[in-house]
Amino acid sequence: MARQTTAGDLSYRVVLGLLSMVALLILIVPVVVVIITSFTDSRSLRFPPPALSLRWYSALFDPVQSAQIHTAAWNSLVIAVSATAISVALGTAAALAISGRRTWWTQALDALFMSPLILPTLAFGLAALMFFSTLRLPLSIPLMILGHVAVIVPFILRTTIASLSQLDRGLLDTSSSLGASAIYTFRRVTLPAIRPGILAGAFIAFMASVDNVSVSLFLAGPENDVLPIRMWNMLESQLDVRTAAVSGVLIFTTAILVVVMDRIVGLTRRIS
Amino acid sequence: MSTPALTRRTLLAGGAVLATTTLLPRPARAAGRIIAPVYPGPWEEAYRAVVLPAVKKTQDVDTVLTPLLALDQVAKVKASRSTPPFDVFLLDPGPVVVAAEDGLIDKFDPSRCKNIGNLQKSFYDDSGVAVAAQIVGIAYNPKKVERPKGWKDLFDPKYYGKVGISGFGTTFGTSSLIEISKQYGGSMTNVDPAFEQLKKWLPHVGVIAQNPVAVNTLFQQGQMDVTYTNYQTVSTLKGRGVDIEFVKPDTGPIAFYTTLHVVKNAPNKDNAYKYIDTVLSTEVQAALQKPPYNLLSVNKNVPLQPDMPTDLVKSHAELASFIHHDWRIIAPLRAGWIERFNKEIRQ
Amino acid sequence: MDRALQQGDPAIATPRARAPREREGWLALPLALYFCLFFLAPLALLAGISLRTTPQLEGFGLVQYAKFAGDPFNWSVLWQTLLIGVKTVALTACIGIPLGLLFMDAPRRLQPILLFIIVLPLLTSVVVRTFAWMVILGRDGLVNNALTALGVITAPLRLLHTELGLVVSLSQIEMPLMLLPLISVMSRLDPHLKDASAALGAGRWRTLFRVTLPLSLPGLLAGCLLVFASSVTAFVSQTIIGGGRMILMPFYLWQQATTLFNWPFAATIGMVLLVAVLAVVTTLNALGRRSRALVHG
Repeated sequence: MARQTTAGDLSYRVVLGLLSMVALLILIVPVVVVIITSFTDSRSLRFPPPALSLRWYSALFDPVQSAQIHTAAWNSLVIAVSATAISVALGTAAALAISGRRTWWTQALDALFMSPLILPTLAFGLAALMFFSTLRLPLSIPLMILGHVAVIVPFILRTTIASLSQLDRGLLDTSSSLGASAIYTFRRVTLPAIRPGILAGAFIAFMASVDNVSVSLFLAGPENDVLPIRMWNMLESQLDVRTAAVSGVLIFTTAILVVVMDRIVGLTRRIS
Repeated sequence: MSTPALTRRTLLAGGAVLATTTLLPRPARAAGRIIAPVYPGPWEEAYRAVVLPAVKKTQDVDTVLTPLLALDQVAKVKASRSTPPFDVFLLDPGPVVVAAEDGLIDKFDPSRCKNIGNLQKSFYDDSGVAVAAQIVGIAYNPKKVERPKGWKDLFDPKYYGKVGISGFGTTFGTSSLIEISKQYGGSMTNVDPAFEQLKKWLPHVGVIAQNPVAVNTLFQQGQMDVTYTNYQTVSTLKGRGVDIEFVKPDTGPIAFYTTLHVVKNAPNKDNAYKYIDTVLSTEVQAALQKPPYNLLSVNKNVPLQPDMPTDLVKSHAELASFIHHDWRIIAPLRAGWIERFNKEIRQ
Repeated sequence: MDRALQQGDPAIATPRARAPREREGWLALPLALYFCLFFLAPLALLAGISLRTTPQLEGFGLVQYAKFAGDPFNWSVLWQTLLIGVKTVALTACIGIPLGLLFMDAPRRLQPILLFIIVLPLLTSVVVRTFAWMVILGRDGLVNNALTALGVITAPLRLLHTELGLVVSLSQIEMPLMLLPLISVMSRLDPHLKDASAALGAGRWRTLFRVTLPLSLPGLLAGCLLVFASSVTAFVSQTIIGGGRMILMPFYLWQQATTLFNWPFAATIGMVLLVAVLAVVTTLNALGRRSRALVHG
């Protein structure tokens, strides 16, 4: 028997509809605003912009004017790729060990590996600086990579463990009962199945590294200037509207990456 | 599907990148190189355009400039004093005392700079040498508010909601607050009157910036129309088309000198002296003083006119007559003032 | 398989080999070692430095903690910081849950687009997002200009450097952290439960509060935890959007470390923040476990 649409139904739809519209607005508007502002003609962040032009993009891509930004972007890229690669290696191994098992030590390790997501990363950044300085290690790109791995590996762990949990154990048992070695089983059965999970996690980890401020703030030095710190400097010290152009480029690049990742691994499916 | 290969490839690629980064030309710190910090913003632009080419041309030294505020420089060196990340310090008087006390500054040897003769003796000592003069005063937006005359005007009802205050985190902030305090009966060591005045005025606050360089941003964004800052900041913003003018307070403007020092354990000490020497040279000082950089020179051979507006300062002699604060006395008091400022201005 | 396994094939392990699962434990060792070296060790050092008595790193004692505890200012900074976290969670949950529900009910084709929008803040740099909010909330910004154009206000509102502005901007920035776990759990719920609830006569609201939300609690909880932790330590947003008058723990830590060079006290602030967040997270987790038992029996 079909229920009549009651007042309750109506209020439900209206309230939830409104609230979700607010949410969507809050999510979209900032990004749109940044993109529009990046085309402003003026030197200030007035919105709506008085006139539109490409001047900030051309200033951004001018190798002389924006050499520092290019260096910082390159450093960020190198650090993110390296940190992600290391995290994938270490994280996938750990995920294999932890997933599905509920012993006390796997749960403890799980909590430990997830803790960078919960603990104030600013405190960790300061701790990392003090740690490296006590060891008399000068700030450098490898050190930054080491600092980043800790804060991005939870993302890879999460998605990989989720993937592993959906893996049919029966397949693994079949494989081993047919006489395959553990490594062979891993290569031919497990890995293909969890590859999308790993890649999704790697993608998020990569973005997290490029975007990281709290660790980079402390570990950044003359030789390893990274993009978010550079942008923060630009924003705070001179309200450089090139920040808007950088933001535009970042948004555009990430959008493309997301679409590509979606095609390859069904990213959107993986995350949900 | 070549699935295992993809992961292996990723790992290999990652490993290769990591290996490559360690193989990249490391900051070899060999002869011909120097890493120097410079204040972000207009200073960085000025130094990149003028100092970098000059150092290369006259001394054949490559400079890596890294934008850092004075206190951040001290923080970075403190964190790795045996292998400092740069060779020189560019500091305001406050951070100089902090760095000196912590033993981060190498003894300065003036005789290693040929151009030192161009400076008055008072501009250098065994810690470092002045490279630019800064004038602190009041800045306002002529399109939005009337021209303020002095420190007391900041608290005038006609500017309610439009004034920006920055704290003791910067040299110009501290100096300004000291001068404000003097207007109400305080002195260089007693800023209680300034705090009392701030407290009374707080309900009408425009904006408070704890981050020193937020002043530029907030002014440009129209979040405040009156504030105190360096002349250099004002002239740079003006050059960018922002509506801003500088006012010498009627009780007298403040002046201080930004100095270059050699960092203890600097890897490229010889190049550091070459760098400093170049900055002190007449050509560089003259170029840095020209618009749009407007860094007041300390070199005798570079008169302040005609680059500087006549109503600002006419000569080095006049500059010496401006108010100077003794930072050796102020420095120990500052931590307490900063913490008190936190508490007083807090919402 | 690309070829049949033959006798003597190297891929075949000796029958004596144990089941793969039992030998995998050691795989966690590399990451565990890494964490010990580059995560736990620095934090231990932080704790150690917080026990020093002077900024010159001499002496040992609880002086810094006493200094923190003794000044009500410090407690109010901590309290305000945690409260910002709570408010952000509240706002994010209020508007995020409806969005999650919308996502679940949306047609298949629209879901990837919605997901892209939801994930958008994660994919744009934190500086970009903060910068966007400066433009939106500024005196000459989007909201003020829109309201003025509509005639709602005559003078610009102060939106930047207020707690409201900060919480709203933080909720945008943290929304994906709330929604992703929530959607993940909601998508695994048995859809028949909702139908059963409706068939039994329960209205939409009742179904929401009695069936959907309780069953989604694990995801909701995970989301709340992540949003709380993240917003409490969001240094960039707090400083730029919150402004100079809002002294929160991250800025306080930063000021002590890099302006005042008081490393022991900065370390203490860091430790206090760590413990506080950990306490909140553990409590919420424990509550979550209790409620999960209630739901699943």
